[in-house]
Amino acid sequence: MEDYEPRVVAMLCNYCAYSAADLAGVGRIQYPTNIRIVHYLCTGKVEIVHILKAFEAGADAIFVGG
Amino acid sequence: MITADRKPFEEIKESVKDYKKIMVLGCETCVAICQAGGEKEAEILASELRLAFGNEGNKVEVNDELVVRQCDDEFMADPAFLEKVKEADVILSIACGVGVQHACKFFNRVITDKPIRVIPGLNTTFMGANIDVGLWEERCLGCGDCVLEKTGGICPIARCAKSLLNGPCGGSSDGKCEINKELDCAWNLIIERLEVLGDLERIKPVEMYKDWRSSYSGGPRKRVREDLRL
Repeated sequence: MEDYEPRVVAMLCNYCAYSAADLAGVGRIQYPTNIRIVHYLCTGKVEIVHILKAFEAGADAIFVGG
Repeated sequence: MITADRKPFEEIKESVKDYKKIMVLGCETCVAICQAGGEKEAEILASELRLAFGNEGNKVEVNDELVVRQCDDEFMADPAFLEKVKEADVILSIACGVGVQHACKFFNRVITDKPIRVIPGLNTTFMGANIDVGLWEERCLGCGDCVLEKTGGICPIARCAKSLLNGPCGGSSDGKCEINKELDCAWNLIIERLEVLGDLERIKPVEMYKDWRSSYSGGPRKRVREDLRL
């Protein structure tokens, strides 16, 4: 289990969490490669089925940042 | 509209566990508006079933489809759609009980080389109105003999727990019904409304018994419009 790296899908809002991730990139701050970002214009648009389909596609966890 | 609630997931899963190819069939009219059986709900249920069966290592194909109304032939007559129906082992209909039965009858009438199994994913509840966001209340029992003209537009048949034609009864207290203190006494509402309208005289004559033959008590009903028949 020590090698276990959960695949995390991050659903991020354009105006806050995505901007923060962008800023982190500009600042050369690394984040783990097991995170896959999905860019939302607003996380209010995250639908239940998006989360379910991410799990179906093999995600271990979903992170909604908004 | 007709309102419904989705059956518990475990009950749905149990009902389709013996099939390998499942079609979740949504209905885009009443049950879509009350967010029980529309496009989104069909997608969600199909995805949940894929995940649940997948976690058990059970290889099941679950697809979702949508028709405008399952209680009407013309919305289900598309040959490409019927081909998909034929390929499925079971149709998990998330329409109301009317839609489930009509889809079953229609599919088995037009697809003659294979019996089509249609099972329900919802519990149909009542004919009601969307009172507020996320809130529906029963408003009509379809008794077939409307009395709303006498009762200020508030139905004593559907909204009085005893369906009284002369009310309120002794169980009415502070405008609430004795069966549930959250429930407004329909007759209290009727009298308040008639007072505002200046129509209180309308309920002074004692209403005689209602002829329930036009309701479900007379057995399943049929409506025929000869001028529309072909």
